[in-house]
Amino acid sequence: MPENKWGMVIDLDKCTGCQSCVVACQSENNIPINTEDIFNQRRAIEWIRIERYWEGEFPNVRARYVPVLCQHCDEAPCEPVCPVLATYHNDQGLNVQVYNRCIGTRFCANNCPYTVRFFNFWEPEWPESFKNQLNPDVTVRSRGIMEKCTFCIQRIRRFSKNSESTERDLNPACTNACATDALVFGNLNDPESKISKVKSKGKKRSYKMLEELGTEPNVIYLKKVEKGTKQEHNVH
Amino acid sequence: MTTSRRKFLGLLGGTAIGAVVFQACGVPEKELIIQAPFEMPEDLVTGIDNWYATSINTTPATDGVVVRVMEGRAKKVEGNIDHPINQGKHFPRTEATLQSLYNPDRISSPLVRIGPRGSGKWEQISWTDAIARVSEQISNVEDKSSILIANNRISGHAQLILNNFSNALGCKNLIYEPIESTNLRSAIKHVFNQEQIPDFDIKNTKYLLSFGADFLESWISPTKYSRDFGHFRQGTDHRGKMVHISSRYSMTSANADEWIYVNPGTEGLLAMSIASVIIRQKLGPQPNVESLTENGKFDLADYSPDKVCQIISPYLTPDKIVNIANEFMEHSPSLAIGGDTAGSHTNGADSLSAIYSLNYLADNVGKKGGVIFQPKPALPDLINREISSSFSEWEKVANDMQKGQISIFLTSNVDPVYGLPASLKFRETLSSTRRVPLVVSFSEHMDDTASMADLILPQGDPLEEWGSNIPDPGPGYQTIGFQQPVVRPFFESKGRHYGNKSFSDSLISISKTMDLDINVESDSIKDLILEDSKKLFKLKRGSVQAQTEKAFWIGLLQRGGWWDINNTFKNKINKPPKFKKLTTAKFNNTPEYDFHLIPFVSNGISDGSGANLPWLQALPDPISTATWSTWVEINLKDATKLDITEGDIIKITNQNGVSIEAIAYPNPASAPNTICVPVGQGHTSMGRYAKNRGANVLSILDASKDDNTGALAWSATKVKISKTGNWKKLPQLENELGGEIPQDPERKVIKIDGDGEGKHHH
Repeated sequence: MPENKWGMVIDLDKCTGCQSCVVACQSENNIPINTEDIFNQRRAIEWIRIERYWEGEFPNVRARYVPVLCQHCDEAPCEPVCPVLATYHNDQGLNVQVYNRCIGTRFCANNCPYTVRFFNFWEPEWPESFKNQLNPDVTVRSRGIMEKCTFCIQRIRRFSKNSESTERDLNPACTNACATDALVFGNLNDPESKISKVKSKGKKRSYKMLEELGTEPNVIYLKKVEKGTKQEHNVH
Repeated sequence: MTTSRRKFLGLLGGTAIGAVVFQACGVPEKELIIQAPFEMPEDLVTGIDNWYATSINTTPATDGVVVRVMEGRAKKVEGNIDHPINQGKHFPRTEATLQSLYNPDRISSPLVRIGPRGSGKWEQISWTDAIARVSEQISNVEDKSSILIANNRISGHAQLILNNFSNALGCKNLIYEPIESTNLRSAIKHVFNQEQIPDFDIKNTKYLLSFGADFLESWISPTKYSRDFGHFRQGTDHRGKMVHISSRYSMTSANADEWIYVNPGTEGLLAMSIASVIIRQKLGPQPNVESLTENGKFDLADYSPDKVCQIISPYLTPDKIVNIANEFMEHSPSLAIGGDTAGSHTNGADSLSAIYSLNYLADNVGKKGGVIFQPKPALPDLINREISSSFSEWEKVANDMQKGQISIFLTSNVDPVYGLPASLKFRETLSSTRRVPLVVSFSEHMDDTASMADLILPQGDPLEEWGSNIPDPGPGYQTIGFQQPVVRPFFESKGRHYGNKSFSDSLISISKTMDLDINVESDSIKDLILEDSKKLFKLKRGSVQAQTEKAFWIGLLQRGGWWDINNTFKNKINKPPKFKKLTTAKFNNTPEYDFHLIPFVSNGISDGSGANLPWLQALPDPISTATWSTWVEINLKDATKLDITEGDIIKITNQNGVSIEAIAYPNPASAPNTICVPVGQGHTSMGRYAKNRGANVLSILDASKDDNTGALAWSATKVKISKTGNWKKLPQLENELGGEIPQDPERKVIKIDGDGEGKHHH
């Protein structure tokens, strides 16, 4: 068994939909500015996004939130379709995108059921002064290549190289920002890690998104809790 | 650095050997295995970073942050895990402070107007010149009380300097808040006899009754409340229950176990009705009940669920009110909070008083999981001074300006030209140099008010400046956040005569030039804070303790502040004041104007102060998922009736004939006859990302006020709506996945646990 298998637990009972994670990710990972035009073209890049689903209608209405990011699937559908091996699975559980191999076929995005892969249709642009903020640890992706959540691989690398690192240094930007601690990141192979404990505590509530597809995600969701739901809606 | 050079060469050697090995392997399959992604050239880490602690006042409260700095530039903001308010977490607005620091439209030096006022024609001047001009103009004014300083709510040493300056000069000082906290503060004062907003201990409560307060996205201290909320949900074995009561379905509503719609302005009535049930059923603590009802003299019979239920909401039953009252009393500790729309009607302050009085019935005042009062600040000079901020004061200012009674108008970090209702004609008045002879702005960005100024003395970004702040609401114990420059000033290269200067330092410079004694020995706010740190050092208690003053000072800055968890509110808690008779919220009811207009603050650009930051503009609203625009949430049936579909441009007109246009968003959660519009767009200035984008809903608000406090009743406007015939695509996230409104009826993506580990109350 490899030493590390990185994963994330997302507790939907804690997630409020505030989107702190979204901005934290954009700041950490040099994501280009999603302009109004980009939204209108449906090409906004959000490595982590909050989806909002409606149930019912006023006055018996519910909005529900779910953070969606790359699920780092063990059986990732995006991997076998890449003709140049730009995306593949490593031995630490990460689904990895090698930017300088990518030739932009977009087959991977086509094959991803979670729509978490994003194509750079244009060179990213920032006003000159904003470039001061860009994270030097993260490549600015150029036109014509795919990008996606890396679980902040640059942080994992820093963590592994520095013996004084703490859990916060390892955590992806989204996890550190998450005000309710709905996101927990860590090593699923370490029974003492926070993620393993949260996972085991929430065992009865845990599920994986679209698990019937057999993608074997490494992102584990904990169900939202609601009184009387079973009786009222007769689900699962 | 010689050793590091040697080390570098050594590393280079290692890499070269590694490369040789790779090449020796030769075959692509091997490359797959050997080139671990951790070693990808894209992700090689080369720089050395430092994380510096500071605190910034960007969300409504002050959060402690740490900033990652590499090569003198700020790269990332995260929460300071030590800071009592946000404890390592942060909000979108906090993160986006980086885009404020490096904003391409920041003002880089003092400016003087060269064209007509508001023309946008400026000339750069030196700081010496700017300070001299302002000082001379102030000196020339005979009646100093005709000078007005308007600023945002600040605390700590910045407030101390401003306070001393205003007192020494004898000028007026007003706070401007687009979304006023006047009614909240008035209710807190009335119900709890407290000057500072208490700590609402959401973390440890078991039953949360929230009236109108969107505390998870925008209300007073959202980072702290969100952190508390995570614990409230799944932090212990006992999952807390939350009931949210409001007229608009917000992100906070979506997170409640139950959302209860109430007609606008009836939140207080529901609170009184809940109180009436508790008292009738003898569920509350007797001494508090006696005090609240003046030994039974205050008869709550008028508020019995049967009588008021239909006034509150057509969807509410008396049984439901009784049920809430019982749940509220059964689950101890329970907590009632109220704000935002619950306090933004003509009866706002009284409604909030009724809501907060419920805490005495729950007997949670001063207790864990309840309402915890704040102690006095550790440095007595830093006590928050009560400065009026009510709308009626601003109405008076607008009147005085029209009469030519304001000689100099100085503003810092506020944008009343943008935020005040158009009916006050503030912009028009300010455009006349005859009415207001001098307008000075201390703004960092060219906001709508700064664009009407004669002189701009731009302050620096919070990440470049010294400061201190006392969080309001605080954590329930003495806390002072320290703010230090974590980066060199961005415009430093322009030389010391240009660039930025903090508002406090500008005031000190002006006072020195004028020879005005403001009772501050120091030459800068930094020196003042340094001096005061010695007083803290002498206390020999709290989160930082050291042998020497210098070590203590360094410790303060490293930790981002000073707090003493043992120094809590220790005074006796007063008896509750008796209930007030609640008045009915007043609306200007006219035929045709049949829609309630409910403005709201989204967690992106908030009250408009974040409109120049693209990360926030692009942040999908939690309800509509809309970005970069002004939209109008409308009930689905109303939309069908009026033949409105998503993207239709809707004209919203108030009873003064002032109108705005917004993009229709038929919303499954909107109540009939209400429309909800986000605050924050429609700036006429403020840089490339904000200027001329969307519409400013604040401009069409009626100038109706709270009966008691004079606060703006910002949810009390009634409007008419019509289709313009134009259409614009609503830029939003949910369209990305196709489909108009994503539904998840089979719960393939979000799964719900009926009675799993949550341990709901039964």
